[in-house]
Amino acid sequence: MNSIKHKGDSIILTQKKNKKEIIDSVVRLLFLITTILSASFIILIIIFISIKGIVPFVTDNNGIGRVDIITFLTGRVWLTGTAFQSNLYSVGFIIINTLYIAFLALMISMPIGVLTALFIAKVAPKKIAEFLRTVVELLASIPSIVYGLFGSGVILVFVYNLAEAFNIQSKGGNSVMATVLVLALMTLPTITAISEVSIRSVGKDIELGSLALGATKTQTNFKVILTSAKSGIFASAILGIGRALGEATAVSLVAGNAKSGPSLGIFDITSTLTSTMLEGLKETTGIDYDIRFSVGIILMIVILITNLILNFIKRKVGNVDVK
Amino acid sequence: MKNILKIMNLNLYYDEFQALKDINIDIENNKVTALIGPSGCGKSTFLKCLNRMNDLIEICSIFGEIEYKEENIYKPNYDVINLRTKVGMVFQKPNPFPMSIFDNVAYGPRCQGIKEKKRLEEIVISSLKSAALYEEVKDRMKKSALSLSGGQQQRLCIARAIAMEPEVILMDEPTSSLDPIATLRIEELINELKKKYTIIIVTHSMQQAARISDNTAFFLMGELIEFNKTDKIFTTPLQQKTEDYITGRFG
Ligand SMILES: Nc1ncnc2c1ncn2[C@@H]1O[C@H](COP(=O)(O)OP(=O)(O)O)[C@@H](O)[C@H]1O
Ligand SMILES: [Mg+2]
Repeated sequence: MNSIKHKGDSIILTQKKNKKEIIDSVVRLLFLITTILSASFIILIIIFISIKGIVPFVTDNNGIGRVDIITFLTGRVWLTGTAFQSNLYSVGFIIINTLYIAFLALMISMPIGVLTALFIAKVAPKKIAEFLRTVVELLASIPSIVYGLFGSGVILVFVYNLAEAFNIQSKGGNSVMATVLVLALMTLPTITAISEVSIRSVGKDIELGSLALGATKTQTNFKVILTSAKSGIFASAILGIGRALGEATAVSLVAGNAKSGPSLGIFDITSTLTSTMLEGLKETTGIDYDIRFSVGIILMIVILITNLILNFIKRKVGNVDVK
Repeated sequence: MKNILKIMNLNLYYDEFQALKDINIDIENNKVTALIGPSGCGKSTFLKCLNRMNDLIEICSIFGEIEYKEENIYKPNYDVINLRTKVGMVFQKPNPFPMSIFDNVAYGPRCQGIKEKKRLEEIVISSLKSAALYEEVKDRMKKSALSLSGGQQQRLCIARAIAMEPEVILMDEPTSSLDPIATLRIEELINELKKKYTIIIVTHSMQQAARISDNTAFFLMGELIEFNKTDKIFTTPLQQKTEDYITGRFG
């Protein structure tokens, strides 16, 4: 009697187990499919841009002639000669502009963002912190065109007046400085929000450990909390720089579309890879159209390399061995 | 001065809840005092009064006096920072900072403004030696403290406290997250440390209290039931409740 009952039990058990295993593998398959789907979209986009962007270098562009890749990468003038007749395009100076602007923007938004994050996470009273957190999240979700409008309505005027104070005639305020300010404003919320989360998630035990050693709150915040949150802070910098490199709309409204460069003076007009792609995209054809996809390839490569470098540094910094 | 700490009529509330009830206790210099009692009886709360870490809990209010070297540490304008350098603390879970071993130990002295490299090195090495950790880490001072084992991390935390040249070291169940061998090493270390420091240790294990302490205080529901020489507590307790606890009838 007993043994029969046992047998029954074990059969039910194996059936249950089988059912679970089937559900498990179905779910796993589902995950796999969605992953492949989203990954293949990204790859599809990259392939599409690459195919379009490679045309100016491999065809004779309807008789105008091949674009030389070295000139393209190193030149200091966007287009030498007349549009639709010349193949002398280059983005060398624009690459420098783009990196320069993103770097300056981050130089402003990183310290402000991290300090704000520290304030929200550790210093501000609960209610104020809650309020600021909501504001930051709100700012992070504002579309870039709004920042662009603010930039052209307010920042351009400010920069124009500032330049005038230095006796410099700026082009209506369109400048490196205006672009940097707009991008700094745009990246600030993201950097603040992500840094804040990583600062807040630093263990209470570490904080108490520091205070118990006779460190002040300020010493604790700067020497222990920030160091403990550095990998999250670094992640915020990576996202920030991604946004600074990739932003097109807002930048186009304040950069001034310089056709040659690089523009290093802060009141000079400038241009970035994105603003160059965007400018006149709808009104042009032929080589002048295709070349914008080539700029797109360059942008993707620049972003990729920057990310690789930053990730490499992050791993180095995240590793305590450095210091 | 025989008693480095004197606790007088200490009452402590978390909001309405009274966690410590009229505690009176004198802590002897260069002795190990063990605090025992079932969990939730207020041992950690009591310990945190001694270096004013309870200040950080908003809902906590404290009445009574605690004298450290004959000065009330709860009097207005008392230098809390200085107190915490003199009354160090080791926590239940090892909590090294995510920095190098060297920087962990140098952290406290640096916060006190010591910058000179040579001097910091001396402090770090002698502290690590005092914490019986130096031999194990001398070749990897620049490595992350998080790469150490749990027992090593706890000894690092002890070294970190020693680097401040404290007089008292508070330990809140310092071995509860460690394996028996690491626990033994810490106990040996405590025996060594009591020559120089006054140690107050919260422990869950009565064997541990019996092994390492000179005096033992038994807490129950926020009250100090009995405080005496450790051998007296464990052989001839005066209170019925103490006897019930150490014989394992509850808790
Ligand atoms: N921060 C706090 N807020 C409110 N109540 C607390 C807090 N810390 C401890 N308590 C309460 O005080 C009592 C004593 O706690 P604790 O000192 O941690 O006990 P033990 O260390 O002996 O286990 C417990 O009832 C606990 O719930
Ligand atoms: Mg406790």
